Order: sequence, then C-alpha cells, then structure tokens
Amino acid sequence: MRRKTPYPYWFVAPAAIIFTVLFTIPTVTSLYFALTRWDLFSQTFIGFDNFVQFFREPGLTRGLINTVIFAGLTSGLKTVLGLLLAVLLTAGIFAQGFLRAVVFFPVLVSTIGVGLTFTELMHPTDGAINMGLSFFGIDGPGWLTNPDLALISVALVDVWRGVGLATLIYIAGLASISPEYYEAARMDGATRLQQYWRVTVPLVRPATTTVILLSLIGGMRLFDLIWAMTRGGPGFSSDVLASVIYKQYQAGFYGLSTAGNVILFILIGVLVMPLVYWLNRREVDL
Amino acid sequence: MARVELHDIRKSFGKVEVIHGIDLTIEDGEFCVFVGPSGCGKSTLLRIISGLEEQTSGRIEIDGRDVGNLEPVERDIAMVFQSYALYPHLTVGENIGFGLSLARKPKAEIAEAVNRVAETLQLGHLLDRRPKELSGGQRQRVAIGRAIVRDPKVFLFDEPLSNLDAALRSQMRIELTDLHAQLGSTMIYVTHDQVEAMTMADKIVVLKDGAIEQVGTPMELYDKPATPFVAGFIGSPKMNLFDGDVAAQKGCEVYGIRPEHIRLTDDGDWHGRVRLVERLGADTIVHAEMETFGPMIIRTDGQSELREGREIRAAPMPEREFRFGKS
Amino acid sequence: MKRRQYVIGITALAATFVIFVLPFIFILLNASKTSQDSAALDFSLPDRWVFFENLIAVVQARDYILLLAYWNSTLITVCSVALMVIFGAMVGYILQRRHSAWNKVIFGFVLAGLMIPPAVVPTIWLLQQIGLFKTIHGMILIQCAYGLSFSVLLFRQFIGTIPRDLDEAARIDGASPLQIFFRVILPLLKPVTVTVIVVQSITVFNDFTHPLYYLPGRENVTVQLTLYNFQSQFVSQMNLLFMNILLVTIPPLIVFLFFNRQIVAGMTAGAVKG
Ligand SMILES: Nc1ncnc2c1ncn2[C@@H]1O[C@H](COP(=O)(O)OP(=O)(O)OP(=O)(O)O)[C@@H](O)[C@H]1O
Ligand SMILES: [Mg+2]
Repeated sequence: MRRKTPYPYWFVAPAAIIFTVLFTIPTVTSLYFALTRWDLFSQTFIGFDNFVQFFREPGLTRGLINTVIFAGLTSGLKTVLGLLLAVLLTAGIFAQGFLRAVVFFPVLVSTIGVGLTFTELMHPTDGAINMGLSFFGIDGPGWLTNPDLALISVALVDVWRGVGLATLIYIAGLASISPEYYEAARMDGATRLQQYWRVTVPLVRPATTTVILLSLIGGMRLFDLIWAMTRGGPGFSSDVLASVIYKQYQAGFYGLSTAGNVILFILIGVLVMPLVYWLNRREVDL
Repeated sequence: MARVELHDIRKSFGKVEVIHGIDLTIEDGEFCVFVGPSGCGKSTLLRIISGLEEQTSGRIEIDGRDVGNLEPVERDIAMVFQSYALYPHLTVGENIGFGLSLARKPKAEIAEAVNRVAETLQLGHLLDRRPKELSGGQRQRVAIGRAIVRDPKVFLFDEPLSNLDAALRSQMRIELTDLHAQLGSTMIYVTHDQVEAMTMADKIVVLKDGAIEQVGTPMELYDKPATPFVAGFIGSPKMNLFDGDVAAQKGCEVYGIRPEHIRLTDDGDWHGRVRLVERLGADTIVHAEMETFGPMIIRTDGQSELREGREIRAAPMPEREFRFGKS
Repeated sequence: MKRRQYVIGITALAATFVIFVLPFIFILLNASKTSQDSAALDFSLPDRWVFFENLIAVVQARDYILLLAYWNSTLITVCSVALMVIFGAMVGYILQRRHSAWNKVIFGFVLAGLMIPPAVVPTIWLLQQIGLFKTIHGMILIQCAYGLSFSVLLFRQFIGTIPRDLDEAARIDGASPLQIFFRVILPLLKPVTVTVIVVQSITVFNDFTHPLYYLPGRENVTVQLTLYNFQSQFVSQMNLLFMNILLVTIPPLIVFLFFNRQIVAGMTAGAVKG
C-alpha cells in the first residue's frame, strides 16, 4: 500500500509520447524500410540490395566518403582554431568582449543566408574573394566550381560559421582552469609556449571532448549549408550522405534514401561511440 | 489533543536498515526533543512522522488515527526545515499563505490568517519582502509562521536553529518555548545540541544508531542516565567516563563522574596536576591529568586561582558517582 | 607587456574584422544597391542608396510571401519552444528528483535524440499516417520532438541546484505533484528557461532542412525556405536576395544583443564537465 510519490512518472508522458511517435518509431522502422524497394506506389522487401547499391554506385559511395572527410576536416579545424581563438580572446587584449561577440555571431545566423552569401563571395570570376586575391596578383581558384575544391570550400564556410561555438566552449573551459597551475608551471621555469602545451591543452580536455563531439556529429549531419552552396555539385563531387538522402527522396527512391539514413546513423555510432569511450578514458588517466 | 504514537517503526534504505523498531508515545501538548549524534536517524524518524518518508513497517497514530498511509497534508502536521525552505519567488506574506491558497481558501480569509500570524511573530513590516532580503532570524520566523498559519495538531522541527549564530539561537530558543506555551500544541524537535534539548524539552528521546537509548525528562536524563552513552551526551562539559582498571576497581564496567560533581579539596583522595584552565567567568573548567584516572575535567567556581602545572587534590561528591554495567 | 598586448589586440581586431565582419558588410552594401549595381558583387559603395525601395520590393515580392513566411516561422517557433520548455522541464525534473532504473532508460533516449539524425522518409510516412504531414501543427510537434533532448539536459542540470527541501515544504503545505511543479519549481527555473527559449528559438527559426521535408507547399513556407527559393528567382536581382538575407539575419542579431549571456550559458552548458 504505497503512498503517492510527489514525482510521478506520468510527468514524462507528454514528452515521451511526442518523442516516441515522431522520433523513436521512425528511427526504428527505418531499419526495416531500408531493406525495401519503396516508392510512391509500392514497397517490396529486397534484403540488403539498397546497401549493396550504396557501396557500388560511385555517386553514392562518394557521398559516404565525403561525409567522413567533411566531418573530420571541419571538426579538426574548429578544434584547433577554436582553442587558438579562445586563448587569444582570454588574454585580456583590447576589445576582447567585442571580438568574442563578432566571432560568435555567425553561429546564430541563418545557415542558408550564410551559404548564399558565400556562394556569391566565392564566385570564380566576379566574387569578392577572388577579386581580393587578384589584387595581390593571385589567381583565385573556382572555389565552388572546381570539383576537387568544392567540398573543402563548403567545409571552410562551415568552419567560419561554427568556430564561434568552439571558441565559446573553450573560453568556458579555460575559465575553469585554476591560475595556480600556471603559477606552478612558471615556478618550474616553463616558457609561455610550454605552459600552453603542458598546462592549457591537457586541462581543457573536457572542452576539447565537447568540441570534437559536437562538431563531428554536426558535420556528419550537415545538409543545409551544402544544399545552399553546391547542391552536392559539381557532379557528385560535394555530395554528402545528407544530400544523397534528400536527392534519393526527391527522386522517389524512398528505400534507398532510408538506407542512406541508416548508414548515416551507423556511421555516427561507429565514429562517435569509440571516441566518447576513448576521450573519456584519456580524461580519467589525467 | 494530539497524541503521537509510534509502534515498532522500522525504516530501510535499500538493504540497509537505519531505524530499528522504535516504540514511542508523545503526549498531547508535549515538547519532545530527539537528540543523538549525526547519522543516528533523527531526521529520518521525524520525516516518517511527517509523511515525507514512508516507514518500511510499523504504525503511526496521531490522536488514535492511523496516519501511516496518509499524505503529509492529511496528517494535520506542519514542519520547519533546517534550511527554512522558503519559496524564493514568493513574498513573506505569500510564503506564509501558500498552504491556504493551495487549499483554495478565500483571499480575505488568507490575508486575515497571514496578518494574525505576522502579528504573533512580529513580521508585519516584512510581509512584502522576499526571503533573500531577510536576515537569518527573520527567515526562521517566516518558516515558523508558515507552520503556525495552518493551525496543525503537531509541529515538527528539524534542527531549525543550527544555521543561526549563538546569540540569535538562544533568543530563538526562548521564543520557541514561549510559542509552545502560547499554542499548547504537540511539538517534536530534532537537534544534536544537548543545550537545546535540556532547555526546551518536556521529554527527551536519546537516539543512537537508529534505536532509542533512553527517554525521559531533562532532569531524569541528567540524574539517572541509563547508559554511558546518555551520560556522556547530556550535560556540559561532558561527564568523565572511565573503563578498564579504574572501572574494575569501582566494581563496574564504566565509571562516570560529572565535572561539576568533583570537589577540589586538600583532603581528597585523587591527586594530579592541572594541564589547562578555561575561565568562563562564572565557572572555571579545569583540565587535569590525574594519577590512575588519566585526563579528567573538573568544574569549579569562577574565582578559582588555579594555574597550569599546579598540583591538585580532589574528591567526588557522594551519591553523584555513576557505575554502569556493574557486576 | 601592455604595449605588446595592444599590438596583438589591434592585429586580432583587424583579422577578425576582415574575416567575420566583412561578409555582413557585403550583405548590407548589396542590399542597398540597385539591381544593376549589385550584379557586380563587389564591396563598392552603392551608386544610389535604395535600401528602403529594396525592402519594400522584397516584402511585396510574390504576393507578400515573406510576410506569410514570417508568420508561419513565428508560429512554429513560439509553439514548439513553449512545448519544449514545459515538457522538457517536466522530464528534467523527474530525471533529477527520482532515482531508479527507468532514469537510465530515459537518459538513453535523451542522448539518442541528441546524436541520431532523424530518419526522414519514415517520418514523412508516419506523419502521413496520422494526418500531420504538410501541417503547421505537425511541424510544431516535430520541432518539439527534435529539441526536447537539449531542453531536458539543461533543465535537469539546473533543477539539481534547487533544494529538495522546497518540494517537501510544498508537499507539507498540501501541494499536489502538479502544484509543486507549476507553482514552486517552474517559477524558479526562470534563468534556464530564458536560455532554453532563446537558444531553441534561434535553432527552430533558422531550421531549413526539416520544413523542407515535412512542410512542402506554398501556403506553408517558412522564412528559410523563402530565402532559399528567392535564390533562383532573383538571379538578376542580387540586391533583393541580399535584402532578404539581411532580414533573416536581423532577428538573431536582436536576440543576441539582448540575451548574449543566456545564449552563452546555454551553448556552453555541460561543456566544462564534459
Ligand atoms: N535517502 C536516503 N538514502 C539512503 N540512506 C539514507 C537516506 N537518508 C538517510 N540515510 C541514512 O540514514 C541514516 C540516518 O540519517 P538521518 O538523516 O536520519 O540522520 P540524522 O540523525 O538526522 O543526522 P544529522 O544530525 O546529521 O542530521 C544515516 O546513516 C544516513 O546515511
Ligand atoms: Mg538530520
């Protein structure tokens, strides 16, 4: 004869219903749909054919590889640049608060707006970037028209847009390092650079974990920026899984599109889970 | 008219039993104090009475009514927390009236009740402030006001004074005693401060490791402690307790003598040397190193000329020696 | 020392300015130009400032579709964020206050919601089954589902700082579970609620991908979709495109100016703890 608890589990119900219906069920059923040939008219079970197709057709495989390249590149750059900017913006320099705001603001701006603006800035002949470069006598590349460069250009724009968040997280991480560590290091005769390598970098590891995980997951899921800038082009050169999923959906290949989705979350699982484990273990070792 | 009866109350958290079968009756209008060292289960027992915590087994009766399965609000009790637990977003007046407004009492009635309580506790001028704009003592009063306003049969207090400074604490002790006299309700009060217990209680319940060690009036516990634990817990400075050879010589397992029951006299049988003298004004507390006994605390009058290093002789007052677990 | 810091500061200011501010100036300049002028895509000052003409032209374009888009986006944002706040806080509260095996399960779902990208086509199929595809309220519920995890985590963390004594005092005062939550806990969550509202509003308002999938149809356009569609319509009118980009940039700017602190708190929550 238990009395009522003041914290009943039905408090979870509204959120649980919305989340289960609109997120969990589609996610779970996608595992089945990915094994079907599914279009507007019919649905047939075809086993792993969709996945086989994914690894056979160069256009699709390219999307898979690009996703990994894109996520790795943006996450690496955001981590390195984010830490550098954070160190700079906590050094007590002139106009520090303003600079932080300026670096962070792009995080809040519409990705589509950013994408369209940079598409114009990166125009091969008329774009401001190449005009600027030609001023220094450099012949700027076709940022978004060169198939070898398009993905990297989009990645650079993504770094521009997202590095502010990494910086912010690092600033919070740096603020939590007790100054005593630096004092101790100085007593031991560490130079400025040694202090960064031996004190700052190891002690902001929790922030590094967050930055890497956030930007890796974000990078793998990214769709809007690529869609606004290249739509996966030229050809399939800058296609990533998210854009492949959308293209297959538009083309009416629902089963194939869903298989892309399943590959995407397997990829996230495969890359992120061990990373979480590894990063957490390194932290404990400290 | 609120007698609280506990019958074989037990409580386990997971596999660990922390309350081991408590039987206790608290009479109507009594001021009952639970004392005991930290972790002995005072708060847990109080929370079981309040209904915040559910007993694992046993019966709780208030006024003969079995309340073991009732919600706190149905038990006609009120509780004052150590942290005061005032709602930070409400004004003092709203804090006091919160329970009434939950019960959907008419606004006018709530206002009247709040004003009446504020009057009693001299909070009238603070009704529109928020808790963070109050001093510790004022917060304490608001917390008490929140309890009084519902006119409960039983008041429960969990170390309500432990966040106050010494001066305020002794003032609040008197106020609470007055309040008890004025309301005449049953009050159960948890503390680990034996001074609070001695000064306020009609009945003291000494708890140890989840069981009752002794129940009695303050003077009963002082004069006739049932165990060395109670003897050491009640009274300040602590009773001198000796086991081993000393106790064996006296024909018991533990021999005790209170510091105030030792006389310094030149014809005493006990001798030793003064190690430290604490002068409290009215009294002097002497820490001495005695032959055969070892360290001993002796209380003597404030005018004492004793200094460190002096040889002393002492003797116990007759009838004031305690022999526990004697053969 | 002071001098060196000053020099680094000036250099950093200049570099940051070039990298982070110039694109916005570019938008502003081109939004003020005539269409021939803006076709050059450069940083020159406008020959003629036609800012307001452009503003009016953009708003009037395609039968005032931008106004419709703002209305839809606002509706979706306000409603979905309101649901996320209430329901998210309730879950965070239970998760923080109760300790049982269920907590791990709930926590697992929360983390899954943060990491796993939604399976879009099955979601569309499901929305069609329950009649929510292409509807604003369907979109509201979807945004709520996708944002819940983040809200739950923030609320849970903050509720940890509210002493349990308050719940118990309210319980003694006779409050029911709902009353404890809505009359005692929720009012005390104000700081974190502001953070959740601000961060999630920006996320939902800026979302392009999900309305693209789940909310097709002209009468359902959102701000981001209109912007994207303008790109193909305004090929010869870059000035209007940039005016539109400017209009989309202004709401977050205003929010940023007023709620900088809350945004920072929300974005870095848990970052230090890892
Ligand atoms: N919620 C709980 N879960 C598990 N164990 C608990 C819980 N609450 C109390 N205990 C245990 O029960 C015992 C009694 O705790 P209780 O809080 O009643 O002690 P107390 O006498 O009030 O101590 P104090 O003077 O420090 O307040 C302690 O050993 C404590 O660790
Ligand atoms: Mg206690």
